[in-house]
Amino acid sequence: MTGAGPLGLLAATGGETGRKLVALGAALLVAGILARAGRRIGLPTIPLFMAAGILAGPHTPGPVLVRDPADLGLLTTLGLILLLFHLGLEFSLDDLLAGGRGLLAAGAVYLAVNLSTGLATGSVIGWGGKETLVIAGIVGISSSAIVTKLLVELRRLANPETGLLLGIVVVEDVFLAIYLALLQPVLGGAEGTAGTVTSVLKGVAFLLLLVAIARWGRRPVGRLLNTGDDELLTVCFVGAAILVAGVAANVGVSDAIGAFLAGQVVAGTEVAHRVQRLVLPLRDLFAATFFFAFGLSVDPGALTSVAGPVLLAVTVTTMACLVAGVVAARIQRLGAAAAANIGLTILARGEFSLILASLAVAAGLDGRIGPFTAGYVLVLAIAGPLAASRSHVVARYMPRQLFPTPALS
Amino acid sequence: MSEQIREQELPGIGRRYSVRADGGELSIVIHHSGRRDVYLSDGTGRSAPAVATLSDDQARRLGAVMAGAYFQPTLTRQIEAVVGGLLIDWVTMAPGSPGAGRSIAELEVRRRTRMTIVAILRGDDAIVTPEPTEVLQPGDRVVVVGRPENLDGFVRHVSG
Repeated sequence: MTGAGPLGLLAATGGETGRKLVALGAALLVAGILARAGRRIGLPTIPLFMAAGILAGPHTPGPVLVRDPADLGLLTTLGLILLLFHLGLEFSLDDLLAGGRGLLAAGAVYLAVNLSTGLATGSVIGWGGKETLVIAGIVGISSSAIVTKLLVELRRLANPETGLLLGIVVVEDVFLAIYLALLQPVLGGAEGTAGTVTSVLKGVAFLLLLVAIARWGRRPVGRLLNTGDDELLTVCFVGAAILVAGVAANVGVSDAIGAFLAGQVVAGTEVAHRVQRLVLPLRDLFAATFFFAFGLSVDPGALTSVAGPVLLAVTVTTMACLVAGVVAARIQRLGAAAAANIGLTILARGEFSLILASLAVAAGLDGRIGPFTAGYVLVLAIAGPLAASRSHVVARYMPRQLFPTPALS
Repeated sequence: MSEQIREQELPGIGRRYSVRADGGELSIVIHHSGRRDVYLSDGTGRSAPAVATLSDDQARRLGAVMAGAYFQPTLTRQIEAVVGGLLIDWVTMAPGSPGAGRSIAELEVRRRTRMTIVAILRGDDAIVTPEPTEVLQPGDRVVVVGRPENLDGFVRHVSG
């Protein structure tokens, strides 16, 4: 043990378990305190949890709280699983379809603009074919956690564009699920073609099975999970989520999509509302660990070497989101203020970009994706909310002729 | 103001109920956590809304208040129900009421008004099917049954 200061001393005397506990406790505490400071000036938590990881990691000067991200190993995976389980739990296809054609059109426009520019950005950066595919997802999908929180904190829940905005986020979530299902075979598809085909089929069969259970198996699953007791319910649903994620990983699709579909299955049962409430503190805790651990793996030196690609991606994403905002506002006959609100709110990037990057790095893709995504998320998760809170300034500069109909509610 | 309450799902947040009220667009957002946000805006999103946040418990109490569970805004006729052409109503005695200080028998309620007093609510007491000797007092809430067209005569004769 070479750690300096009192924390190093603690680490040296506590044995293996003690060392890991100190690492975890210090990590959460530092992340929490930093995020609390950021909250005062209206910053979201995700980039600050990650920044805490960068600062506390082995690549920066100052005390090293956690030397090896692997110390947090299983906990960070739990963070990823619970993030997607919660997403699956909240997601409802019926709500999406009830939103009507305008909403679907707006979502489709958003995805088309952002993914095509994302693919273009990826190929300009030029790290390889698979890398381009992953970068498209990283820059294409907004952070539903930050967008949701932002709308509540900026007091925009009663605005005319808010339903549309959240609808676009839901369309993104659907896309994310499909994208995750398709991505893993692509990422892992380096071995012989025959083996790949059977493994892909096995994965697809498993996913279809989960979709079928979500559609028709609500009653037995509900009976399995339903107890009046919150303690037992928590143990059962967390167990189910982790089990499904684990089986998904074993059959060659990602644990992320497994967890998402597990959430979808639970969403159809009568315990859904209670699980929604019970999962939140668990998700918050383990997701913070996940973001922190992602930060640990980032070397600020590498961050500067990918500054060019990050700058390019940030610029392209900002333009794409504003264009999508204008088109979405026009579809619903809303004005410039709504367009700016949509574009700048949906600009926030966070958990999904980081999840995709960690899957890519784990699959052995170009290692620069790690620092690239860290830099990209740091910029947009901080600049996005700040810009959204001043969207009226941007709205003032939007050309009037973009909005031919007068902006009635 | 007869406009319906509009309902919209806010995925990941909860549900929104909006109504165009006198003075602006009133929206209630019920979060999954139970938190309620009450927005009063101009409905266009151009100017900042006034927002109040309530806990689940506060919101339920406030909802009961608005529904009139604690206080009914009408003064003398508080409950009025017509069952099969028969009216059940409720009048409150004032100190200057013609019937105050007199018994039901003295007032000859049934013969002169064709209405029947079925109960008297006095403070926390409920006197069900009072005796003819019962004296009506100021503050009594008198529950009567009869034909709707006879109510006005009863009011003139008893409560004023």
